[in-house]
Amino acid sequence: MTDHVSVELVDAGEARAAAREDPLSYSRGGFLRRALIAGGAVGVGGVLITGLPGLPGFAGVTGTDVASAAETKDLATDILNYALTLEYLEAEFYTRASASGALRGEARSFARVVGGHERAHVEYLQKALGAAAVAKPTFDFKGTTEDQDLFLATAVVLEDTGVAAYNGKAADLINDKAVLAAAASVVSVEARHAAWARDIVGKTPAPIWLDTPKSQEQILAAVGRTGFITGGV
Amino acid sequence: MANMDLADLEALADFDADGALRETLAATKASANDVSILNFALTLEYLETAFYEEAVRVGALEGETLKFAKIVRNHERGHVTLLEGALGSAAVKKPRFDFQGTTENARTFRATAIVLEDTGVAAYAGQAGLLDDPEILTTAVRIHSIEARHASWIRHIVGKVPAPKAFDEPLTRAQVLAAVGKTGFIVG
Repeated sequence: MTDHVSVELVDAGEARAAAREDPLSYSRGGFLRRALIAGGAVGVGGVLITGLPGLPGFAGVTGTDVASAAETKDLATDILNYALTLEYLEAEFYTRASASGALRGEARSFARVVGGHERAHVEYLQKALGAAAVAKPTFDFKGTTEDQDLFLATAVVLEDTGVAAYNGKAADLINDKAVLAAAASVVSVEARHAAWARDIVGKTPAPIWLDTPKSQEQILAAVGRTGFITGGV
Repeated sequence: MANMDLADLEALADFDADGALRETLAATKASANDVSILNFALTLEYLETAFYEEAVRVGALEGETLKFAKIVRNHERGHVTLLEGALGSAAVKKPRFDFQGTTENARTFRATAIVLEDTGVAAYAGQAGLLDDPEILTTAVRIHSIEARHASWIRHIVGKVPAPKAFDEPLTRAQVLAAVGKTGFIVG
């Protein structure tokens, strides 16, 4: 145990619940306190989103009513790129975990199903952003994709983080109904993933009655501390 | 799940947090549109709360299903209290319910819980883009993701895929009310 990684997710509210269940920490890699991506995932201001693609599988959420104000579009671009960065991270995590051959039983089917969802979220966001989409970063998952227990523990954190991230951005999208509606269809899927992962590892799937939103700054700092993103942002 | 302390969990679930949030929400001058949406949400939360309360009271549940029912009941009670507080005198009254016997055995309870929770997720998703006030919106999405966790949990209990699709499909208010109407659960 020369190296130690602590994936810190939350700081208030749900932290009380999370801490009582168990503080998620595990060993690996010594340089994990570096905040590698803080602030780096966004800042594509000035590029306009011209519309959102319809969501696959159902009608009704399209980009036709994306707000026209330029500043709204800048904000939406930043938020969508923030979401895209988190979805890249999740998608790559599950893709590598599935490819590693380390997963068995339900963990294996969880990784396959959830990986498919995260890749669909990535594709959707890339399509929505077009040329304004940030590039996929490079990742190092510190062995967490190669060990079933580490994989599951990390999946819980990533999914709970995804929920907190989307919930933290909702109010900023109040004037951009199309993006907001799309985000609402994604966040509940992240919440389903979180609950599923939690149930597999024996944590309460819904540990509290209101999920705690997190700011972009909090999320990027938490992600940075994992050291999972090694470059490209 | 055997190593979990149920009493501890129930304490967590009961946690009546965020007095500050309720105050803020109650103090918000909600638009007529937002009041209408919050009352729609409150009606669904009344329904869910009454369903889980009755199921726990009837006593047909055990094990993981009972734990689910108790914890989720507490969450739904929290949502009701929060929404009632936000709406104040504008809150709709709690309807009367008849759950048609679905609370009387574990199998029908679980099947009904899946439908109620999946419907709740779709209902919140359908309203998110319609709210005027950012604080109310934030509160709504915080409830929305909890409903999704409930849906995932009960689906997992019965062996259904907890997250069956990459995107959850929203339902309009009319669609939700029509679906709820067909259950016959709301009698007055």
